[in-house]
Amino acid sequence: MKLVWLIAMIISSLTGLMAQVPNAAPSLWEQPAVSLADEIAGILGPGQAHLTIRNLSTISTGEIPAIRRLLEQDLKNHGVLASGAESANAIRITLSENMRERLWVAEVIEGSETRVAMVHVEPGTAPQAQSTTGLTLRKQTVFTSKEAVLTMLETADGLVAIEPEQIVIYNHTSEGWREQKRVGIAQTRPLARDPRGVILPSASGDGFEASQAGMVCSGSFQPGQPTGEWKVRCHESDDPWTIVQPSVTQTGSANQGTATQMDVGVTPFKAFYNAARNYFTGVVAPSLGVDLPPFYSAAILQRPASGAALLINGIDGKVQIWDGPSLKPVSGTRDWGSDFAALNSGCGAGTQIIASSSGEAPADSLRTYELPALEAIPASAPLAMDGTVTALWTAPDGKSVFAVVRNAADQYEVDRVTASCNQ
Amino acid sequence: MRWTVLRQVAINRNPTLATKTRTWRGWGTLCLVLAALALPAAARTRPHYGDTLRVEVEGDPWQQARRLVLDGLTAIDADGNIHPALATKWKSENDNHRWQFSLRPGVHFHDGSPLTSASVVASLGTDCATNCPWTAVHAVGSSVVFTSDSPMPNLPALLAGDGYLIALTESWGGTQGGVIPPNAKGTGPFQFTAFNNGALILEANDACWQGRPFADKIEIVGHKSIRDQWLDLSVGRADLVEIPAEQLRQAREQHLTVEASQPVELLALAVADGGVLGDPHLRAAIALAVDRGALSNVIFQKQGEITASLLPSALTGYAFLFSADHDVNKAHELRGGLTPPPLTLSTEGNATMQLAAQRIALNLREAGFNVQVTPTGKPQHTDLVLLRLTLESNQPQAALESLLLGVGVANPVLESAPAGLFRVEHEFLDTHTLIPLLYLPRAYAVGGRVRDLRLSPDGAPQLADVSLEDAP
Repeated sequence: MKLVWLIAMIISSLTGLMAQVPNAAPSLWEQPAVSLADEIAGILGPGQAHLTIRNLSTISTGEIPAIRRLLEQDLKNHGVLASGAESANAIRITLSENMRERLWVAEVIEGSETRVAMVHVEPGTAPQAQSTTGLTLRKQTVFTSKEAVLTMLETADGLVAIEPEQIVIYNHTSEGWREQKRVGIAQTRPLARDPRGVILPSASGDGFEASQAGMVCSGSFQPGQPTGEWKVRCHESDDPWTIVQPSVTQTGSANQGTATQMDVGVTPFKAFYNAARNYFTGVVAPSLGVDLPPFYSAAILQRPASGAALLINGIDGKVQIWDGPSLKPVSGTRDWGSDFAALNSGCGAGTQIIASSSGEAPADSLRTYELPALEAIPASAPLAMDGTVTALWTAPDGKSVFAVVRNAADQYEVDRVTASCNQ
Repeated sequence: MRWTVLRQVAINRNPTLATKTRTWRGWGTLCLVLAALALPAAARTRPHYGDTLRVEVEGDPWQQARRLVLDGLTAIDADGNIHPALATKWKSENDNHRWQFSLRPGVHFHDGSPLTSASVVASLGTDCATNCPWTAVHAVGSSVVFTSDSPMPNLPALLAGDGYLIALTESWGGTQGGVIPPNAKGTGPFQFTAFNNGALILEANDACWQGRPFADKIEIVGHKSIRDQWLDLSVGRADLVEIPAEQLRQAREQHLTVEASQPVELLALAVADGGVLGDPHLRAAIALAVDRGALSNVIFQKQGEITASLLPSALTGYAFLFSADHDVNKAHELRGGLTPPPLTLSTEGNATMQLAAQRIALNLREAGFNVQVTPTGKPQHTDLVLLRLTLESNQPQAALESLLLGVGVANPVLESAPAGLFRVEHEFLDTHTLIPLLYLPRAYAVGGRVRDLRLSPDGAPQLADVSLEDAP
């Protein structure tokens, strides 16, 4: 039997399809159904055909009847009527997919001849996860990039993303993020394989200060006609990074030299970074009067009863707290990953720690903890993230944290994580 | 299809001739030890620097090490997107007949000499004596220019493949068509230091343009049986070992920490299109006679994805359009009552492939063919060759061109949409000179101290990104 294959292809760019959400509105499938019906009618012409649909994709079974109705209606509009199995003609539709997109394939069978039509449909988005007990954590994806994002800062009308080799400034438009400026950091030494960076609003409020291994960059917005312009300058520097900045709600004056407990949280806290590795050396400014071990992350925890404390996560995996003369180990942190950040949720004790963890799950999760003493007590259910958390930091206002997540497709998404108090 | 090329493919993809009969006694004990090792994972931490990663493989250790020592001009991510590597940008001209790749500045080979366009041209010249997608390659300033009489729409993706990695030719005195040896100087995250007692020793390249790798050293011990690899993993002598597809289920049952790729290895039967099998009906009969289900269920323990398509369904979504039916009656019909002269079938040689070849021979005998399986280790002209072809790219267009190139069909794939790729595949497969059978994953088991293992699109472990939990 000789088969003659006629291939037809229509590219339908459908944005915002939420195909993986159970019981998603059938209207989401309207456009691909119209396109496929057009193709089928072009092959078959008006008449009757036995229509079968099989689903090899992740579209939920509950949505198939709605898709079938749409296809039947669209075929009918072209004069193709779905009939019983006795029909000489058959339309075999397969809802398929590959790793990038959905593909709807129609095999149009007339006697011994089979012809094929295909329509591809962009993939949908995964449903948002949500925790339900204690504090409730919610995440909102702010920004997604194919390039690695080390950290990010929101500006008045956009954001500044630090990539391993570049600083990228985006504007927010009605169509999403639009790249406004891209500046090379121009490192002279090889990049680290697990690069990190920090970015903070500048003191003047119209720019930013960013630190990346061996480099410091500053950016300022120059108002002008019609939209103004960003000036960004980078230079080599081994100065310590500002890793904790007092939030706008904290005021006070700091002593020079060695810090006291009262100073913590009211003065910028800086730490020297090992540019050839991925951690801070343990040398900090102002000095705490104790030797800190090398650490991955640090956060200031404001506690109503005992005042501010500095929490660090050592590269040996030990979480320790400094609230005065010495470092003390914190228990209950066995599930913590390397990254954490303080969150001023206003719930419970006021400030919590959000820590990353993974356990045995393929993706990381975030969870809030309270530290009334020397034990971390979970304050929320874990919030599942879409991949590996590669960076976590507190937003400038202290009321949310940002997480960079590298997903299975090696894309980087920046999520804002907020907490609400359960009644 | 050029038969000599096919034959060479079979030989090239047979680095190990594991002809010894495996002794299965003792596997049970080993599995119990491995199960006891399956400890709960600790929370994820940032990768630690330091220590030595110990890898064991059944084949040539250099096959595993090539991508650690050498880089390509481009790279492909898990999503099939092409990224800059040693080249930072590229552009095509003259309807894809000319491509210009700009080299990344500041990159050095392991001996400290700079990466230049001349060194890239020299390396590509030795890599690729035949079957190159280009006609000529030239150094132009800090760029490398490829030209061809045929369009090369997929060149950036193809250059990410293993066949086009860049080595400093002077470091090993490369010659046209030569194979780059382990002691060649590359630009990759690790550099060769020694071969000790069968172990290839690599040391971290502190000045690597991609960043220093986390492990200080990698030791790759080659030519180890799977049983010995698993034993070494169980007693802590190895950190990463191989799991053949047919033992994947067993590994999972033992709760080993397994990383398995998408289906990336195509098991296929190459059929000579001349001589006895010059009749396309006979080749079509062979395609119908092979029972893929039995191969998958019995030989590969249900770990294979049955296919009659060149590209796996995960890349295209249309693989189901190619029928993988087993129909002995129709095979008899197509043979037309003729009993062809005896056919010979050879394979790459390891025990599982031998079993698969025997199974296929049995199927073909049921369909009226007289087939003899040739012994391993004796490459010779045969009518049928059972091959394993690795999907080197997850970019469908480049993957298809690369697979076709691998079996001697050097036609650029100009189509990029699924419908166009389907047409190209259909036209080629309609000749029945290559019969896709199964897609198999590549898999590895790792010890408890290995962190952040990811597999590249071709299923190879990305060891430069691995860190060790107990590193100081």
